[in-house]
Amino acid sequence: MFAPVTDAWNSLPATAQDVLWFVILLLPPLIIGLIVTRGYRPFGLVRAMMWRYHWTNALFVTLIAISVGIGVGLIAQERGLRKGTARAAEKFDLIVAAPGSEVQMLMAAVYLQPVDVPLIDGQTYDRIATHENVSLAAPIAYGDSYLASPVIGTTPQFVTHLAGDLVEGRMFASMGEAVAGARVPLKVGDRFVPAHGVGDAAEHDAHEGHDIVVVGKMRLTGSPWDKAILVPVEGVWAVHGLASGHAPDDAGRIGPPFDPEYFPGTPAVLVRADQLWANYALRSEFTTDKTMAFFPGAVLAGLHSMLGDVRQVMSVMAVLTQVLVTAGVLAGLVVLTRLYARRLALLRALGAPDRFVFSVVWSYAAVLIGAGAILGVAVGFAAVGAISRVVTARTDILVTATLGWPEFHLVAGFVSLTVILALTPAFMALSRNIVTDLRA
Amino acid sequence: MGLALSVRELVVEGDRGRRLLRIGALDIPAGGRVGVRGPSGAGKSTFLYAIAGLVAMKAGTVTWDDETISAMNASQRARFRRERVGMIFQDFLLFEELPALGNAALAAGYAGRAERGRIADGAAAMLAHLGLGDHADRAVDTFSGGERQRVAVARALAADPPIILADEPTASLDRAAADRLIGDLADLAETRGKTLIAVSHDATLHERMDRVIDIVDGCWTGEG
Repeated sequence: MFAPVTDAWNSLPATAQDVLWFVILLLPPLIIGLIVTRGYRPFGLVRAMMWRYHWTNALFVTLIAISVGIGVGLIAQERGLRKGTARAAEKFDLIVAAPGSEVQMLMAAVYLQPVDVPLIDGQTYDRIATHENVSLAAPIAYGDSYLASPVIGTTPQFVTHLAGDLVEGRMFASMGEAVAGARVPLKVGDRFVPAHGVGDAAEHDAHEGHDIVVVGKMRLTGSPWDKAILVPVEGVWAVHGLASGHAPDDAGRIGPPFDPEYFPGTPAVLVRADQLWANYALRSEFTTDKTMAFFPGAVLAGLHSMLGDVRQVMSVMAVLTQVLVTAGVLAGLVVLTRLYARRLALLRALGAPDRFVFSVVWSYAAVLIGAGAILGVAVGFAAVGAISRVVTARTDILVTATLGWPEFHLVAGFVSLTVILALTPAFMALSRNIVTDLRA
Repeated sequence: MGLALSVRELVVEGDRGRRLLRIGALDIPAGGRVGVRGPSGAGKSTFLYAIAGLVAMKAGTVTWDDETISAMNASQRARFRRERVGMIFQDFLLFEELPALGNAALAAGYAGRAERGRIADGAAAMLAHLGLGDHADRAVDTFSGGERQRVAVARALAADPPIILADEPTASLDRAAADRLIGDLADLAETRGKTLIAVSHDATLHERMDRVIDIVDGCWTGEG
């Protein structure tokens, strides 16, 4: 019986479904409003009531706005964070590393949260790099840092793959050169000495004498790589006193091909296949006892779906908060309505029909709730912007959360429910004794 | 033309059965102007609210012409007040944030479409008659007490009801304002033939009435 409706609904574009759903959510208060106020003109009195205790009313609207704003802000933020982490990982098709934890390697290679892992040796790297379906195999050698920036050894091809053309300067061409991420506080021409290790454990004088000069800047990628300094992987090996990756007669070369005999090892290799399908073949091919291969996107999706439960808890909490706010709003409305008890008693003494008095109280409540909700959306936009900036600064993952349809649906649902429940204070206002209130 | 009031064996009780008012038989002719006086707490206001249909009656009948409001339900009594009664209160009970005309034409907000224009015109004419025509758009919180009570009178008479019920209309006014209000109210009732019943301690008001009745301890004790 519902099949045609379901089919028609499913045939609608997503935006149309969202808009329709929004309208459906707002229909009950609109219909109630039309029924309650039909034939009357309560809005002059509602305006007068608003103005009568305008500070109280403003406070009430503000409280609704803040709670609505925080609720929608949190939900939008969670979605923004998911999108941000996914975007930061999207350049990383396939990672090959020594067997271990995929999540740990994802954190290390994609989000640059380094961990100690065994290295992949030259033979293994060579097998990857020379595979017929592989178009890019870039070592990602982390472990050094400069101030808050990880120093990553890789190849020029990876730099181009990650961030496209440089916005300033040129690609590194020798071991003492580096390309800096967009948010690294180094300009082209600046020099630095990398520290061994990262964070508090870094040994600052371990690489004394290995000055590096910044020769180029990458464009902004919205990922932790914006804070990274990329150097030729040969340079990383050199400062650690290892082989250069190339045979002695090819010394000084930067980038592939590497000679397996002189390849000291790398914690991770980013692999890009020439065809999408080939990624799957490569993954199974490099899932061996010596290597693990994984799609960062898939690991992330797994993490997200595991966190999906948390997300649901958050959504339930957001809704629960709104319900609590609703209860608070109703209690507040009953109190506010008492402020107007004498004027409402006057209306009834003058012979105003009950439905008119009801419409005044309900419209007053609806205006407060509606204004609070609209202002709440504005608060939500501001909150999302502010929290996004904090999260972006803390994680280096560009989070551009913004309010979307789920938030508008939540607000519409809140308005709908609260405005329906606001019928209660309106009924309560009618049950009061006219003469008692007149004499109050 | 005003309506005639007939009260028979009216009993109003308060909480826990305490008797607030008992009137054996009282008749006020259409267009009559009656002052009601008595000590504070004697039941004067209760009498006024009873004949307006605002308090529950324990027993007896209250009839205005042929409409017995003691037999009506709450919404019928509200309709009766809406169509037949103008009420004035001691402390004006205006919507301070509305202009004078908004207060005087308050009933237009809940009147039928056809009635709205008539009430708004009546309110404007009443304000003009009471000397407030130039201040119709001013918020009443800027008005003096006398002006506010005149706005309340305009509100009571905007729909041209046959009955005016006033509860201590001059008690919050200074002498000059009270005298002016009494004059306005009595003249309006007289020239337009309205039945005016005013609860008041004010002897000047009593002088302008056809008749003054005393209520003591919840009982009508006789003519003044």
